Amino acid sequence: MIEANDADRYPTLTEAGRRMLAQLREHPCAPIYRNRSGNRLTREDITALRGFEQRVLAATPGWPRQGRPDWLDGFVQRVFVEVPHYRALGSPPRDFTQLPVISRADLAADITRFVPDTLPLERLIQFSTTGTTGHPLLVPSHPQVAGRYLAFHKRALRRFGIEPQHGAGQVGVILLGHQRRCFTYVSVTPTMGESGLAKINLHPDDWHHPDDRARYLDAMAPEIVAGDPISFTELLRLPCRMRPRALMNVSMMLSGGLRAQLEQRFGCPVLDIYSMNEVGPIAVFDAAAGGHVLLQDRLYVEILDRDGQPVPPGQRGEVVVSGGFNFCLPLLRYRTGDHAALLHTVAGPVLSELAGRAPVRFRHADGHWLNNVDVSHALDHLPLAHYGLHQQADAALVLRLPAEAMHHAAAARQALHELLGNLPLTLRPIEEDDKIMQYSSDLEGQP
Amino acid sequence: MRVEREGPLLERLTRRLAETPPDFLDEPRIGKRGNVVVAALVHDLLRMHGHRATLDTLRRFESGDARRDRNRLALVQIGCWLLAGHWFIDAGIDAASLLARLDDDLRELAAVTPAHRFVQDADRREELARLLLARFGFRPEGETAEQATDRLSRISGTERQRLLDASREAEERARAIREALAKKAAEESADKWTRE
Repeated sequence: MIEANDADRYPTLTEAGRRMLAQLREHPCAPIYRNRSGNRLTREDITALRGFEQRVLAATPGWPRQGRPDWLDGFVQRVFVEVPHYRALGSPPRDFTQLPVISRADLAADITRFVPDTLPLERLIQFSTTGTTGHPLLVPSHPQVAGRYLAFHKRALRRFGIEPQHGAGQVGVILLGHQRRCFTYVSVTPTMGESGLAKINLHPDDWHHPDDRARYLDAMAPEIVAGDPISFTELLRLPCRMRPRALMNVSMMLSGGLRAQLEQRFGCPVLDIYSMNEVGPIAVFDAAAGGHVLLQDRLYVEILDRDGQPVPPGQRGEVVVSGGFNFCLPLLRYRTGDHAALLHTVAGPVLSELAGRAPVRFRHADGHWLNNVDVSHALDHLPLAHYGLHQQADAALVLRLPAEAMHHAAAARQALHELLGNLPLTLRPIEEDDKIMQYSSDLEGQP
Repeated sequence: MRVEREGPLLERLTRRLAETPPDFLDEPRIGKRGNVVVAALVHDLLRMHGHRATLDTLRRFESGDARRDRNRLALVQIGCWLLAGHWFIDAGIDAASLLARLDDDLRELAAVTPAHRFVQDADRREELARLLLARFGFRPEGETAEQATDRLSRISGTERQRLLDASREAEERARAIREALAKKAAEESADKWTRE
C-alpha cells in the first residue's frame, strides 16, 4: 500500500497554512487526532475550483415545471458512451422516463462499472459508507470533487445571508462527530486563504481531558460548525462560548426542537442540509420556501413510485437523482432511498416533507392509519437527536430514545398518545453507536 | 455458410434499415417499463410470413431484466422491421429459421453493439443485412458466393476484433479502478466541508 505524505495531502501549503495546521494540532487542549487527510489540491485544481464556485453561485437550480433541464439529454448521451454499465444497456432511450432506475445495491455490486472510461485514475480517492440498507459502498471521488462541496455550502449559507469570510490564520470550519470511533484530522482550505479545517470527535475518549472539548472549540472559534443531531446534542452539553456564524446539520434529520435549542444557544442560523456521499449536498431546508431547496444546478430530481413510475405532481414518492458534480460517478436515475414530494416554487424546486427511507404507516388505536411523517411532526418540538418508533404485530408501540434524552420520555409518550390513541407503549434506551431504523412496523396492512 | 441463392440488392435492405420507423426504435417492454411488447411484434412478423408461434417460443422475447435484455430486444425490434420487408416475405422462409435469426443471431450481435447503431451507422447496417441474408442462405444481388462470404466476414470480423479488444480493455480497466480505490492514499480521501 502506498501511504500519502504531507506534500500529497497539502500540495500548495504555505508558511501560513503550516502555522494553521500546527495551531490546530498543537493547541494545549487539542484532541488526539487519529488520522491524516488533506485537501490534495494542486494549483490547477484551485483555479478550477474558483471557476466552479463562480458558476455554481451564479446558476439557478431548476427546470421548467413540465419539462427537464436542458443539459440532461447531452448528459445521458455521454454517460451511455463513457460508462460501462450504461453502455451495456445499448442505445440511450428516446424518452428519459424509459431509463431503468438504479439503486445503492447496483453500485455496491460492482462500482467499477459506473466509473467513466475517460477518467484518469491516478488521483482517485474514495469515501466509504456503511448505510442502513446493508450494502457497504465505496464512492469513487477526486480532490476537486471534495473541494466542490464548498460551493454548494456557500449557496446554502447565502440563502441565510451568510458569506463565509474566514481566511489566513482563522479556522473556517470544524466538523463534529460523536462516536466511539471516528475519522479525525486537520487540514486547510486553499480557496479560503488556507483557513483551518478540523474534523474532531466529541467522544471523551479522543481528548486528554473532557473539559478540553469546550476550551478547544472556543480557542479555535470556527466560523462554521458542521455536525449531525447526535454530535450537536453533545455540543449543547458543553460550556462553549464560541460564536460560529452558522451550524450545518448533515446526515440525519434535524428536529425542530433541537434546531431551536441550537439557534438559541449559539445565536446563529442552523442549516439542515440533505446530503449523500453518492451525490453530495442536494438541498437545504428553508421553512419560508416550504421544505428543502435544491442546491445543485446540474442535478435533476424526480419523485417516483415503488414501480419506478413518476408520481403525480406534488405527491410523495422516492427521491431519484440524475447528474451531479462527481465526475467519477455520473448517476442516471439513482434511487436515494429517501422520500419527499417535489414542489415548484418561486425559490425553485423544493423537496417537501423529506424523510429518509420508505414510508411506514402506524395504526391508530381506533384502526385508522397514519403516515410516519405525522409521527415526525408530533415529536418535532422535542430536542431529540434521534429516536426509533416500532409498532408490533399486536399494535403495541416501542419507543427508543437516547439514554440521555429519557427526560423527554413523558412528553414523547403524551405526543404519541395524542396522535395514535390509547396504545400500550414500552420505552427502551438506544445504546451508544446503535444504528436504528427511525420507523418500523410488524403490523400487517403496510402499504 | 452456404449462400447459393441470389437475394435482393444489398442497398435495398440497408435503405430499409436506415428508414426504420421511430416506433421500431421505441423502448422495449421490460417489466413494467417500455412501450413495445416485443413478443407481440415477433408474433405479428411470423403471421406475416404465414406461420404461428407458440407462447413458449414467444416467451424468449419477454424479460424483466433491462441490463441483460434491453439491447437484445431493441435489436429484435429492428430485425422484425427488416424481416417484414416484401423481399423476405416473398422468400418463403420457415418459422424455425426466422426465430433462430431473431433469437440467436441477434442475441450475439446485441451482446456487443448498441442496437440503434444498426440503423444509424452504415457499416453496421451492412453487417446486419449481410448476416441475415447469409444465414437464410442468400447472397446480395450482383455478388458471387465467394464475394458475399468474404465481405461479410470482413465487416463482422473487424467489428468483432474491436469488441474483443474492448472487452479485454474493460476487464483491465475494472481491475485498475479496484486497485486505485484500494490504495491507502485513496482511503485517506480528501477534505469536504461536511461529511455525510
